[in-house]
Amino acid sequence: MNEVTLLLLIKILLVLLVVYWIAIGISMFYRRIRMRRLAIIEETFADLVSRYLYNDPENPISISQINDRLKKIGIRPGNRNNIQYLISLMIRTQRTIIGSNFIKLQKLYGMIPPYGVSIAKIGSWNWYRQARGIREIYEMNQSHYLDEVLKYRNDKNIYVRREAQIAMVVFLGWESLRFLPYLKWNMTLWQQIKIVEKLYDLYPQPDLKWLQKAYETDRSFAKRLLMRIIRKFELHSEIDYIMKHLTDEDYEVRETAIYCIKTFAVSRADMSFIKAEFDKIPEPTQQLQLMNYIFENSDIDVPFYLEQLYGPNEDIRLSVAEILWNNGHKQKVQEFYLQQYPNTSMHVG
Amino acid sequence: MLDSLETFFGSGIVFDLTNYFFFTYGILLLCLYFTGVVLASRAIRRTKRKANFLQVADVVSATDIPSVTLVAPAFNEGMTIIENVKSLLSIQYPYYELILVNDGSKDDSMEKLIREFDLEKHDASFISQPIPTALVRNIYRSRNKKYTHLTVIDKNNGGRADALNAGINFATTELVVCTDADCIIEQDALIKMVRPYLEENKKEIIACGGGIGIANDSIIRNGVMKELRLPNSIVPMVQVVEYIRAFLLGRMAWGEINGLMLVSGAFGMYPRKRLLEVGGFDAKTVGEDLELCIRLRRHMEDLGIPYKVVYLPETLCWTEGPPDYSILVKQRDRWARGLWETMAINKKLFFNPKYRFMGILYYPYWLFFEFGAPLVEFFGLLCIIAFGLFGWINWPVAILLFLAVYLLGCIFSTAAIFMYVKSFDHYTKPRQVIELLLAAYLEPFVYHPVIVFGQMKGYYKKLFRIQSGWGTMTRKGFKVSES
Repeated sequence: MNEVTLLLLIKILLVLLVVYWIAIGISMFYRRIRMRRLAIIEETFADLVSRYLYNDPENPISISQINDRLKKIGIRPGNRNNIQYLISLMIRTQRTIIGSNFIKLQKLYGMIPPYGVSIAKIGSWNWYRQARGIREIYEMNQSHYLDEVLKYRNDKNIYVRREAQIAMVVFLGWESLRFLPYLKWNMTLWQQIKIVEKLYDLYPQPDLKWLQKAYETDRSFAKRLLMRIIRKFELHSEIDYIMKHLTDEDYEVRETAIYCIKTFAVSRADMSFIKAEFDKIPEPTQQLQLMNYIFENSDIDVPFYLEQLYGPNEDIRLSVAEILWNNGHKQKVQEFYLQQYPNTSMHVG
Repeated sequence: MLDSLETFFGSGIVFDLTNYFFFTYGILLLCLYFTGVVLASRAIRRTKRKANFLQVADVVSATDIPSVTLVAPAFNEGMTIIENVKSLLSIQYPYYELILVNDGSKDDSMEKLIREFDLEKHDASFISQPIPTALVRNIYRSRNKKYTHLTVIDKNNGGRADALNAGINFATTELVVCTDADCIIEQDALIKMVRPYLEENKKEIIACGGGIGIANDSIIRNGVMKELRLPNSIVPMVQVVEYIRAFLLGRMAWGEINGLMLVSGAFGMYPRKRLLEVGGFDAKTVGEDLELCIRLRRHMEDLGIPYKVVYLPETLCWTEGPPDYSILVKQRDRWARGLWETMAINKKLFFNPKYRFMGILYYPYWLFFEFGAPLVEFFGLLCIIAFGLFGWINWPVAILLFLAVYLLGCIFSTAAIFMYVKSFDHYTKPRQVIELLLAAYLEPFVYHPVIVFGQMKGYYKKLFRIQSGWGTMTRKGFKVSES
């Protein structure tokens, strides 16, 4: 490498450095301008919505006036970023409004510029735009696009199919559970939570017919989702479904079953069933979780606890010892430890 | 002596080999950095896009999100302990426990905690301790309903790793976040950290880290960052740039190819189950965070379970960086010893195809370019001095080469600053950005040589088995605003 080559390299590097400086400058400048623009859009939109919802009879605002003002602040077909921001504002506003104003707002949304933008995104080749389009459709409650959205419920892109499945729940409510056995892809915990939350927010009255039909599924994620729904809606009549899965062969399903059963106080018969199933759980950590549940929700069943005290797992033994010790059976614990360590004195307590 | 050195280096082969070695090393490093910039930009873009579909508001009211325990060890932090605990307690997460581990403090930390949080002693006899630790004296819980999610463990001194292990033992939640008591954690950090665990389907997340920022001279109010300021002095100021570069470029890039070997000890989330399986942090090494992450990865490789280590680009945790050179040297000395120890413990990984990419690529990278870099720099400096003395250096070319390398370094730092400014709104004022750029350009002269010195000091201690522990990290403390 000679001096000439090095000088050339230095010049190139200097140019690159200057390019980065310019990029930083532009980025900061653009951010400032953009923030200002977004603030104007937000302010105008808030003003328009409030005037539309609480119209002054003496000075009513018309749709054409609204559209004109939106146009003035840069909501035009060519300006995608502004339209996108307006959509996010519309979604945000809709979330906070209920009752007759909600219906009025829906009507307004049907008549202002972004209408049609979301459905156009669905046809895009880009997963990000597709998923965003679907999200906007269900967030803005545009249920007439249900058939379009349904097509994507088994899409290969996780975000597209996830948004489509959530849209199904938003539009169909409990009936959407009938699709559960036919979903091809696994469902993440996030998605399960979101579905449960949407169902709870939008359809608080359970429709057990669809839930029970979905019990036929053998998919792990579907079983977990169903148990979470039972838990969230506190469906006491359905806890058999959770109890059945306490000893499922799938770790995650067992985990969810143990987690969900904790919400319920069960009958004596059910508790006996749970105790009978206890030894069939292969994971000691899960057994421990269930042990805590049994302790908190039933009377002290000494034979059951003694069986566990003399069992193979150290953590379970320790946990049982604590339960017995603190609940009037110190002697049983002392007997156990004396048998285990005959030559040592007790230091417990 | 000088003559014999001259004869040795003067022989064509040694001279050429030396030159080619440094040249190849530099080019390889350059390629890696360049690839890093490309991968990191892709990762940041993708993370930001994904975040649109994983909005915190969607699940924040859910009852199904995993519970999290934050374990924070404290040693002789009586001066700031109350403020720090209040700060950690103010984190927003629906199912959250805080375990503060008093690691045998000799000051009045424990008394202050008992008084301020109305703590009550609880029996610890029956609580199992799957990971062996120094003796746990007592467990304290608050009588005050405001602090029901606070547990204080008072134990004998065993070091940071030992204290974290005690916290992990006593935690009962699915996920555990390990941090330091004096870190300022963003209010929504936990929900953001939990996100990867909720959204991952195919692979198990074994560790998740978030960006860590330097907050010297920033203003803290009620344990929350009120105003982020750039540090006043040059040492922490350069660290701001260094952290931005390391977290935004380095970690994000490695995360993109699932090659992360380190989740910072200052802020990392792990599934408790996996922590117990591997026996928690290794209390024998001072680089316990790196060692744990590698051990977790090895464990998953041995189990044959697909796994992932993820990093979030956002700065979720603010810490105080060494304020001056002497503390900086101590810190880097400790990091270097930790790296040495971890590399030695895991030498089995070296080009071991059983561990797939970790054995073939990630471990060798750490060995050659993280562990090896200070050595190469140090010997490079010696060679320049020796070759200069013998008059073998073409100074005009050497100066131009130095300038080119310097500019390359500046470009990588500028790229990192650009990506940070573009993606986050922490430093938005032109003055702040200019100061960051200036700090980045001064780094090779006023900061980097000190780091190399600290690292070489650490290696020297390891080489000659000089006993040394964590060393005292004197902190000035954040600026606390009362009103």
